[in-house]
Amino acid sequence: MKLLATASEITGLPVVTVTGGEDVAEVRDVIYSPERGSLVGLTLNKRGFLRGRRRQVLPDELIHAIGKDAVMVRDDSALVEPGKAPREVGKPATNRNVLGDDVLTEGGLSLGKVRDLVLVVGSKGEVVGYEIDKSGGGTAYIPLPAQLSVSGSALVVPTATQDFVRDDLVGLGGAVDEFRERLGMS
Amino acid sequence: MTDSFREAHGRKVVSRATAEALGELSHMVVDSSRRHVSAVVVSKGKKHAFVVDWEHISGFGPDAVMVKSEDTLRPPADDHERETVDGKLELVGKRVLSERGNEHGSITDVEFDPDSGDIGSLLVGEERIPPTDLLGVGSYAAVLAGSHDDR
Repeated sequence: MKLLATASEITGLPVVTVTGGEDVAEVRDVIYSPERGSLVGLTLNKRGFLRGRRRQVLPDELIHAIGKDAVMVRDDSALVEPGKAPREVGKPATNRNVLGDDVLTEGGLSLGKVRDLVLVVGSKGEVVGYEIDKSGGGTAYIPLPAQLSVSGSALVVPTATQDFVRDDLVGLGGAVDEFRERLGMS
Repeated sequence: MTDSFREAHGRKVVSRATAEALGELSHMVVDSSRRHVSAVVVSKGKKHAFVVDWEHISGFGPDAVMVKSEDTLRPPADDHERETVDGKLELVGKRVLSERGNEHGSITDVEFDPDSGDIGSLLVGEERIPPTDLLGVGSYAAVLAGSHDDR
């Protein structure tokens, strides 16, 4: 059973150093690679009275852990200038955003549109599902295989996904492993 | 023998040389990597605060902290000491974060050995946490090793 959170719950969390106990930044936005099935990094805001955007970014390999109350980094050297970060973090491509994309099964059924990403809390940013606005109205959560094909306006998921649609994050936490087992992935 | 930060806060600080009261203990300067009290902050009224290094304390007693003389009081020397004097690094009441990014309340007290200055257990609610689990202390939080999420 995994503890899950949506990307929008991570937005606004403090970025705290493990060795220093200081809140060095705040999460502005989540940069996600649908092909890799994980975060590639975070963009940042300043903390406290200064607010506003911070130029530096936090690449995923320098994230110590993403928790429910903070994003942890070892020390403030984890915040890097965009020019020194991997290209997908330093200059994220705007057309790679999956939010609003139609989720289609291989069988041609539309499950809904992507509203948010679902991540494993405590991990380095593994994305295991999507929060979707169901075609018939309402919210649902679907598990994801580790990789999937994405076009920019739609993404295609295995037909088995429709058996694992859940109403809440707790339900999805139980469904992810079973879903991936069914696909022969884990 | 053990003493605790909560009990020591507000204890009077007295010069051994003149028997004069120099102020009261307001904060501990903690070296978190060595898990040791490296100095104490002595406050005189609301505005004046000085630092006394642990080696200049001749007796850390239950009723008074004896220092060798008034000359051992000095102003804070670096950012760590200045932040301690300002209370930003005070462990008692400090938010606790696991290294996995989950909050676990706050530190209620810290036990230490009044002879050596070595930090004993950290008390977080009902839990006693070994000082080796303390990874870092800053103005935002005290960060503890990951196993605390599993309890």
